[in-house]
Amino acid sequence: MPPLMGIEFLCRVADVLNDYLGGLNEDLIKDNFVIVYELLDEMIDNGFPLTTEPNILQEMIAPPNIVSKMLSVVTGNSSNVSDVLPGATASRVPWRTADAKYANNEVYVDLVEEMDAIISRDGVLVKCEINGEVQVNSHITGIPDLTLSFANPSILDDVRFHRCVRFRPWESHQVLSFVPPDGQFKLMSYRVRKLKSTPIYVKPQLTSDGGTCRVNVMVGIRNDPGKTIDSVTVQFILPPCVLSADLTSNHGTVNIFSDKTCTWSIGRIPKDKAPSMTGTLVLENGLERLHVFPTFRVGFRIMGVALSGLQIEKLDLLKSVPYRFYKGFRALTQAGEFEVRS
Amino acid sequence: MFPQFGATAESLSKASTLVFRIGTDAHLYDDPEDVNIAPLLDSKFDSEKCEALKRLLALIAQGFDVANFFPQVVKNVASQSLEVKKLVYLYLLHYAEKRPNEALLSINCFQKDLGDPNPLVRAWALRAMAGIRLHAIAPLVLVAVRKCARDPSIYVRKCAANALPKLHDLRLEEHTSAIEEIVGLLLNDNSPEVVGAAASAFATVCPDNFLLLGRKFRRLCEVLPDVEEWGQIILIGILLRYVIARHGLVKESIMFSLCQEKDWSSGKTVSEDDEQDFTVKEGAYGSGGTLSELANMIFHCYIERPDEYLSRSSSPNKGFPKLEASQFSSSSNDDVKILLQCTSPLLWSNNSAVVLAAAGVHWIMASQDNVKKIVKPLLFVLRSSYASRFVVLCNIQVFAKAMPSLFVAHYEDFFIHSSDSYQIKALKLEMLSAIATESSVPFILKEFQDYIKDPDRRFAADTVAAIGLCAQRIPKMANACLEWLLTLIKHELVCSGTQSVVGEDGVLLQAITSIKSIIKLDPPSYEKVIILLVRSLDTIKVPAARAMIIWMMGEYCSLGEIIPRLLSTVLKYLAWCFASEALETKLQILNAIAKVILCTKKDDIGSLQRVLSYAVELAENDLNYDIRDRSHFVKKLFSRNLESQQNEEEENDKSQNRDLSYVLAQCIFGGQTKTVTVPSEPINSRFYLPGSLSQIVFHAAPGYEPLPKPSSLPYNELDQYDGAASGEFNEDDPDASGSLDEESASDYSSEHSYTGSSDVSHSDETVSGHQDNHNTDPLIQISDTANGGKNQNGVSHPDTADFGDLLSTRALESWLDEPPALSTESTMEQGRARRSSARITIGNIRSRVKTKCYMLLDPANGNGLKVNYSFSSEASSITPQLICLDLFFENCSLESLSDIVLIDEDSSKGSDSANQTSLSVESTSNTDIPTLVSMEEISSLEPGQTEKRTLQVHFHHHLLPRKLALFCSGKKFPVKLRPDIGYFVKPLPISVEDFRDKESHLRGMFEYVRSCTFTDHIEELNKDNNSLTKDNFLVICESIAVKMLSNANVSLVSVDMPVTTNLDDASGLCLRFSGEILSNSMPCLLTVTVEGKCSDPLSISVKVNCEETVFGLNFLNRVVNFLAEQCHTQS
Repeated sequence: MPPLMGIEFLCRVADVLNDYLGGLNEDLIKDNFVIVYELLDEMIDNGFPLTTEPNILQEMIAPPNIVSKMLSVVTGNSSNVSDVLPGATASRVPWRTADAKYANNEVYVDLVEEMDAIISRDGVLVKCEINGEVQVNSHITGIPDLTLSFANPSILDDVRFHRCVRFRPWESHQVLSFVPPDGQFKLMSYRVRKLKSTPIYVKPQLTSDGGTCRVNVMVGIRNDPGKTIDSVTVQFILPPCVLSADLTSNHGTVNIFSDKTCTWSIGRIPKDKAPSMTGTLVLENGLERLHVFPTFRVGFRIMGVALSGLQIEKLDLLKSVPYRFYKGFRALTQAGEFEVRS
Repeated sequence: MFPQFGATAESLSKASTLVFRIGTDAHLYDDPEDVNIAPLLDSKFDSEKCEALKRLLALIAQGFDVANFFPQVVKNVASQSLEVKKLVYLYLLHYAEKRPNEALLSINCFQKDLGDPNPLVRAWALRAMAGIRLHAIAPLVLVAVRKCARDPSIYVRKCAANALPKLHDLRLEEHTSAIEEIVGLLLNDNSPEVVGAAASAFATVCPDNFLLLGRKFRRLCEVLPDVEEWGQIILIGILLRYVIARHGLVKESIMFSLCQEKDWSSGKTVSEDDEQDFTVKEGAYGSGGTLSELANMIFHCYIERPDEYLSRSSSPNKGFPKLEASQFSSSSNDDVKILLQCTSPLLWSNNSAVVLAAAGVHWIMASQDNVKKIVKPLLFVLRSSYASRFVVLCNIQVFAKAMPSLFVAHYEDFFIHSSDSYQIKALKLEMLSAIATESSVPFILKEFQDYIKDPDRRFAADTVAAIGLCAQRIPKMANACLEWLLTLIKHELVCSGTQSVVGEDGVLLQAITSIKSIIKLDPPSYEKVIILLVRSLDTIKVPAARAMIIWMMGEYCSLGEIIPRLLSTVLKYLAWCFASEALETKLQILNAIAKVILCTKKDDIGSLQRVLSYAVELAENDLNYDIRDRSHFVKKLFSRNLESQQNEEEENDKSQNRDLSYVLAQCIFGGQTKTVTVPSEPINSRFYLPGSLSQIVFHAAPGYEPLPKPSSLPYNELDQYDGAASGEFNEDDPDASGSLDEESASDYSSEHSYTGSSDVSHSDETVSGHQDNHNTDPLIQISDTANGGKNQNGVSHPDTADFGDLLSTRALESWLDEPPALSTESTMEQGRARRSSARITIGNIRSRVKTKCYMLLDPANGNGLKVNYSFSSEASSITPQLICLDLFFENCSLESLSDIVLIDEDSSKGSDSANQTSLSVESTSNTDIPTLVSMEEISSLEPGQTEKRTLQVHFHHHLLPRKLALFCSGKKFPVKLRPDIGYFVKPLPISVEDFRDKESHLRGMFEYVRSCTFTDHIEELNKDNNSLTKDNFLVICESIAVKMLSNANVSLVSVDMPVTTNLDDASGLCLRFSGEILSNSMPCLLTVTVEGKCSDPLSISVKVNCEETVFGLNFLNRVVNFLAEQCHTQS
């Protein structure tokens, strides 16, 4: 069996357990060991994955939710194993629950993007790209057939799809045609390469002399995306040769942890001043100046904008349906591997 | 991908307090044994059972052994509650292998559940039953799987497919063909889900049975995108292997073009297309051949089996076998095209394993332009899936090694993030240095400069090495790299001036190594660099780095103008600080001095020799024996030079320089090291298929299978199979006959008779078809069982003893109605019986029988005497216990041999004289049966002469050899006579009715069945391929009968042939033989039944009915062994 298959399967198991238990740690697994056993038994058979579709699994083995918990406490009877085979196992769209019924039919499409960037020691933007996902939360009655199209699909460098997406329409005219699973799922992930600028700048300066090193980090908005930039953080690991550090900032808080990780949480960048962090690092005895330099990892979050510029053109139901159907679109960009070298 | 996962987990774990634990099974886990579990298990309430089982599960989870509850738990398998069932199954599967006997108790419940209307119950029952893994129930599981493979529920069919590998794991050979048949059936399933599971079964059960795929290939390709992701991964691999086996490699693929290029590369003519792709590395590697050779090697490794690899690497000539043109097909081949078309959308899959598998197909099969398709998806996987990053990167690396041009434009993707693990960083560095081109190298070097300041010094050292590699690959950049490395060294020296920081040494050493490799490219132009390095000797403290600089100095001592002038000073300095140096530096100093002395002119030699003698003297008293050894060595080599220093005479004469030790020294120290272009990492001598585990661990991991040999699957074989199979598939549609409540055997019989239900009237037509055969071939006598004794064709019964009588219709029917002894056999037997059959007789078969000859004594051991023996079919005249043997004596020597006699080992011990041996009959006369009726003595045997003698032996045992002594010309040779149980019987000519009658008395424990594969007929068939005179069935019958009669002393009773419309399906062919055990005259009956296609290896089931069980079993084993044995011409 290919190693990647094993890795992917383990990831899937982790995802499913995470969905079921609302997290994944030793205590949760102990507390729900029966469900974990049952799930594992269902997910793998003789070393080969059997049922991995979350929709089917949830119908077969009920997740431990509050209602069932209360019920089991009251009645003392808890069977979380379904008595019937989920209908989806027999359908052409095994990822979809067979008979979903909703009073309000709605679909929400989120563009969630991560920006990867590398800024070299000279301050040059070496690499900047967006890794995004189209996350869909659908609650639609029956078996809907949706199409989603983009205004500018040509900017996409590469894509990966959920298995519900049909390949043909995408190949011929870049339209996503799919029967969505029920609930939240990742419809596609995409990548946009070679972006030209970043929304914020981070300028670290380290000057060392006589066994100490002065640090000065400035953060500011470079290209205003039009929306507020939230939860900005700057994080770096002090080089091993640093004995102690004293860092202060004019905005936000600075924390230095025992593993030499420094975190500067700025939050929202204020309009009136440029946040900066200054301080001194005391180097090891005998070391005149710093010869290795930390890399600053930057985090931020911008609601309401997709920095890649990708735009959803429209979302349609293929067949006309008797019920009303709400659509919602959102976008979010956050920092991925956004690194500034000093 | 996003952090919400970790965050929620953390917060929840903190909150995992009482509130959250209400309603969970936490209390069961914490105190599983706070109540008595046993009574709960026996409770009549499902909820209590459930609780007890959960407690047991908790105990298992905590590592306790609760196998002692097994009987009580097994009882609950009958529970109606699905949760109880599920928990019982979990428990059962955990302990079944430990407690097989109790596990068997649950089988009945499983059987019942298999008929449940709820598909979930059926599926779970099947899974649990197959999961028990007991040999005893394997036949039952097989029946269950066969049934479930036609279940209307997709889920059950999927579970059936998953159960097949479990059955296969039990390694029951007799079931192999049945399992493969079910695999074929499931691969043909309508539902993609089932196909995926079936693909996985195929990959484990019969990965090389490409015939099974033949017709399905296109359908499988079409269904591929709909198969679930796990099945896709496996199916892609299977389809790729099939296409390689069927059509070979693709001409347009990079594999082929690179191979070709290598063939032409002697003249450095690269085809126009490739030119632009390869210009880059041609410059980089100096010779264009290197890279294509590497690629060539990679692809050869893909199709190379481990044994071939071993033989290749052990043989001095490490070349690869050339691939023949026939092993290639063009990309316009339909199958290839379809495969590529169907796998290309999978490059967009969300599952990284699918992407990599699809990329592997394109890598091997696609034309050069299309291979580019895989680049972006692979790089995207690299970013988007953290867990699989390392594996993907390893594979990309191999792709890039063979074809750097693919990734040249994407160097940015390999830029290193600080969050990458060290392994990833190292791999990315390798990638960057491998794909650097003249246009991209400035950017890459700039990146590298940033990396060097990384706090991870090991990574920084690797970066320095990578810079060296880049400089070697792109000579234009060498100067820039060098300059830059020198500043780095200077910088390092300043930084770590007072105190060496951990890890800095590595960077410095790596920097000097890189400089060394750059200098090697063109030493004369880097003279100044060497001087610079030598000058920095007093600041560089790292021993390994010092050693390397000193080596460089010695190596390039005669370079340019300045270095020779420097030398004496430097050497003096080195000799001066010799004592304080580290081991490796000391060794290099000695070497360097030696080299310098060899190169320098006459005038300087005096001072140098003083330096040498000084250093040697110091070294001789060193604590380390390596250095002492080296000093002795140098001293010896340069003894002349050292002496000359004392004598100060004309010793420096040229004539003396030419003496032996000088020449030796020249060879050792002076020989310019052959420019071994040391690639930074050794090229692995082996590569494995992309995506495989072996590719990651660099050795053949268990279960690794290389690609099949290109075009190893002959066309005609497949076409033939296609033709034969066409009937099968019309019927095998799972939805056509999937009713689950039909448990009757008729369900299975239709499965067996591919041609539909062939009733008796049907056979009339077929017989007339056979008549033609009869007319052309007098050996065959045909009669129709339906027509019984009427024998309208007017064929008379030749009265040979071998002929069996015809079976009347009634007898046939009574046989059909007989209850089969084994339940597992029942379905198969009845299936066979539903078809009509014709009885034929084969005459003249005895004449074709060749008895087998065994070697008793080979001429090498027997002084030139060769003795062979064969068992003869004659019965002994003295007593039936004796077995007759024919002995053939041949004199292979050049001298004549005399007084040859064979006697019993035991008797010869008492009387050593050869003359008395003929009396062996008397010597053993105290027993009833003589052990050996000796042969007539051969008084003399001339060279080349052959004599035949008959010997009658009594074997005490069926299987153990009999020790005998052979005397020849006064010498004694101990020999061993091996018994052949096939000759412990004598022919028993009986009629078919008698056979039936006797057989019916020997049922049950007197009946043993085994299966094997029979292949002899294939050759026969091929031989007769062009002449249509012979019927396929007849050939098979004959080859089985001949094989049987050649190996066992039995008589042929009857031959039953199936009468079907399908001429290629030999299933139902049945031969009967009878014999009588020599020692006690008990009958021993043998029935051979054939399954399978004429042109394929047949699956034969042999049944022995015999009252003496031990004999019967041994006899059966022997029969199966020789039937399965290939005839010599084939092997």
